[in-house]
Amino acid sequence: MTDTVSAVVQPKLFGARVKRREDPRFLTGKARYVDDIVRPGMLHAAFVRSSYGHADIVAVRADDAERAPGVHLVLTGAQASERALPIICDSTLDGWQSTQYPALAASRVLFAGQGVALVVADDRYLAEDAAELVDVEYSPRPVLSSVEKAIAPDAVPLHEGWIDNLFIKRHFRGGDVDAAFAAAHGTLELDLISHRHSGIPLETRGCIADWDPAEELLTLWTASQTPHLVRTGLADVLGLPESRIRVVAPDVGGGFGIKGHLFPEEIALCLASMQLERPVKWIEDRVEHMLACVHAREHYHRIEVAYEEDGRVTALRALVRVDCGAYSVYPWTATMDTGMVLGILPGPYRIENYECRAYSVATNKCPHGPYRGVGRPAGCFSIERAMDEVAHALGMDPFEVRRRNLVRADEFPYTSVTGLVYDSGSFLEALELVLEDGGYTEMRELQEQARREGRLLGVGFACYTEQTAHTTTEFIKRGVPIIFGYDSAIVRMDPSGDVSVQVSSHSHGQGHETTFAQIVADELGIPMESIRVSFGDTASTPYGHGTFASRSAVLAGGACVLAASRVREKLFRFAAELLEANPDDLDVGEGKVYVKGSPQFNHAVSDLARWTYHRPEKLPAGMESVLEAVASYDADPGGGTFANAAHLCLVEVDPETGGVKLLRYHVVEDCGEMINPLIVEGQVHGGVAQGIGGALLEEFVYDEEGQLLSTTFLDYLLPGTTDIPHIGVSHIDTPSPFTLKGIKGMGEGGAIAPGPALASAVADALSPIGHAFVNELPLTAERVRRFVAEAKRDGSRSQTAGS
Amino acid sequence: MRRCHVASSRHSITTRVNGAERTVEVDARELLTDVLRHRLALTGTHVGCEHGACGACTVVLDGKLVRACLIFAVQADGADIVTIEAFGSSASNLHPVQAAFWEKHGLQCGFCTPGMVLTAMKLLEESPTPTEEEIRAALSGNICRCTGYVFIVEAVKAAAERMVSEGTTP
Repeated sequence: MTDTVSAVVQPKLFGARVKRREDPRFLTGKARYVDDIVRPGMLHAAFVRSSYGHADIVAVRADDAERAPGVHLVLTGAQASERALPIICDSTLDGWQSTQYPALAASRVLFAGQGVALVVADDRYLAEDAAELVDVEYSPRPVLSSVEKAIAPDAVPLHEGWIDNLFIKRHFRGGDVDAAFAAAHGTLELDLISHRHSGIPLETRGCIADWDPAEELLTLWTASQTPHLVRTGLADVLGLPESRIRVVAPDVGGGFGIKGHLFPEEIALCLASMQLERPVKWIEDRVEHMLACVHAREHYHRIEVAYEEDGRVTALRALVRVDCGAYSVYPWTATMDTGMVLGILPGPYRIENYECRAYSVATNKCPHGPYRGVGRPAGCFSIERAMDEVAHALGMDPFEVRRRNLVRADEFPYTSVTGLVYDSGSFLEALELVLEDGGYTEMRELQEQARREGRLLGVGFACYTEQTAHTTTEFIKRGVPIIFGYDSAIVRMDPSGDVSVQVSSHSHGQGHETTFAQIVADELGIPMESIRVSFGDTASTPYGHGTFASRSAVLAGGACVLAASRVREKLFRFAAELLEANPDDLDVGEGKVYVKGSPQFNHAVSDLARWTYHRPEKLPAGMESVLEAVASYDADPGGGTFANAAHLCLVEVDPETGGVKLLRYHVVEDCGEMINPLIVEGQVHGGVAQGIGGALLEEFVYDEEGQLLSTTFLDYLLPGTTDIPHIGVSHIDTPSPFTLKGIKGMGEGGAIAPGPALASAVADALSPIGHAFVNELPLTAERVRRFVAEAKRDGSRSQTAGS
Repeated sequence: MRRCHVASSRHSITTRVNGAERTVEVDARELLTDVLRHRLALTGTHVGCEHGACGACTVVLDGKLVRACLIFAVQADGADIVTIEAFGSSASNLHPVQAAFWEKHGLQCGFCTPGMVLTAMKLLEESPTPTEEEIRAALSGNICRCTGYVFIVEAVKAAAERMVSEGTTP
């Protein structure tokens, strides 16, 4: 019962750079992604997809396909519509116009690539052969291939019963905007455009539907970030109770928000399996992914800025239009990007007079959904470019303009004009530090030197605050149908004293198997090696929402803290009885429960666990033989905790070709207390790289007929090793007062600021020629040449004016 | 218009995969990725784009890095193929490149990892002490969507140092 230890010191794992425990299976090729799973008797599916951007379906002739070798089923839209409801994801906000996104289109297709029929065959090759034999007769309709066309006065509403082509119109007004504009020293009106791109996980979508008629159980293995939400959505459209559906998200090859949806393809696969009573697999090919998964970030902003002579921005007016494509996506609705921009556009700045009109526009394009940052990359682009333009107009240093507008450390908690509560942060400190750590002075020296050699180098920076781990109050405000108010965890100690942790979040690169084990190890005083974290299977994990919106460390991590501490309380109650001590005087460490100050009085956690299950007579009266707890955590008050960061970069621009070469990049980020800085840095790097992709390369281009022109990696360019420089990362850790352990979310952050930082750097590079307002992303060669021309016009004007 | 359906012809091919001779009956149109993954159950070779642009399906064929999604299995008849499964079956016996990826956090979702690791191994075989520029050039055909490449580059540098110091560079 006792030993001679004089002190128990288990170093805390929270905050340690622990290497990831999940890595060996990925490094050795043993990870199990959905396409690695094989079910007995499994068949394979291929989709027939619309070749039109907008058309009526006149007829679907499937006889030849049905007779083709190896074919088991051709499922048409008409058949599917008899057995499954369409996906309906309605906002609760006034003025919302609803859409019905069918598993397979029955009467009309609304975007090129939309699923029209599903062919199931013995193998994928045969399924694709037969898919080519399905003869779909279309009657084309006029295509709304842009926001401009969709909002034109004579545009025909895309959806039945709609009065125009707006999913939602939102309006916010706070402070006295008109008075601030009337009194301003100067005003600016700016147009900013971020073109359509997406997360492009390297693993495409895919799923296996397996209806077991004996158990009357439908199992769906699917590459998803949100298995529980997929189960709820499937139950709704299929009319099955959730108890008859099991969704398993195995190892998933990247998500970035894109895999956090219920997809029509998943429903079609379930229908096929239920009809055939066989497992059916579908693995999306890359072209399908580009055409028909989820696109993101197509924003058109017009903003008006009122500023004072000293650089303070006193008011902001914004008109925000987002091209949301053809349908509202489940479970987010088509309000996510517009709602986010409306709320966060003033960003980290003290702008107290603000008006925003935000419109989610329906077009004949692939549905638009959340992608890492959701609305904030575009919002940050607008406000940061505006700050630079104010600086230009006043002849001030852009750093100084920001310094005068940023919310200062002594103002937290700060309630923004839109009612967001910025809990804590280091807005100015991060900007100061990025200039220092990122080598701003040296960048300016390099720039001078390059200019003497006739080369154009430019320095740019940008900062933001990011709402993370937002839950109940925030999602109620957004009007989504499901309030993503919490995530949850089960902590279960077995008779050996080992612990299994099941979480409702899903890890597809974020390292939850490591970080949550770090948290639980600290709470229970046992080594990480004794803890196993699992996720993804709705049959074994507690209900919750999944991984998105920079929330898992705070919410699922918080749930782990709560559940583990409840198990610890049970251990303390038991040990207190055995040690004749007060539970409040006990602590844990090095696998023991011991008396604080007298660690020689202790019991091994493994003994307590074994006795709980095998020697119940030792338990205190009334204590159950259970060492497990389930907890959910919502980070009250639910408005989120605000992380912040500042980004700095150096670019070289070739004015002849329009080429932009990114030379240096540095980030200072503040996500509060870090569970594992190694993982935080990896997330920052990845976010920045995706942000750089969207700023320089990635763009979905549609033609007038609604045909997508960028459907392969040869015309949709992803950043590679030679496009991304080394990315330096410095940390500030301002704890959140709102969350357990002071953690803030950070998964999305890296992707938010590269657009404005790069645009600012390109404008800076061109400044010896003249001023160009770099207002459009991505910065393709063609666009950069346009900015060079703009700078030349400005330069010649200035010369004329000066002569 | 109905497309003419061409029945595929069957071929028996024999390849050496990770040191073991394997004979498989394949369709003429069957891709090497499908044969490795679905016929030989070597699912460590991943398929990211099926048009030779992402590098996830990288394997070593007769000593050269190839994209298995651009090769018909019949073309691999008689070839010697090495996939990720040839190296380190568990945490305890990882190849130095795998170990360095682990140590430096050179992976997140893991989908690009096998192709990335094989490409890095090949680089270090041909250039045991590469500069950062050479590392980036060698990996430029492998897309990673998660890491921003920073820790991948660090991992390759660390692996090079370790292999040189231990004398394990091939």
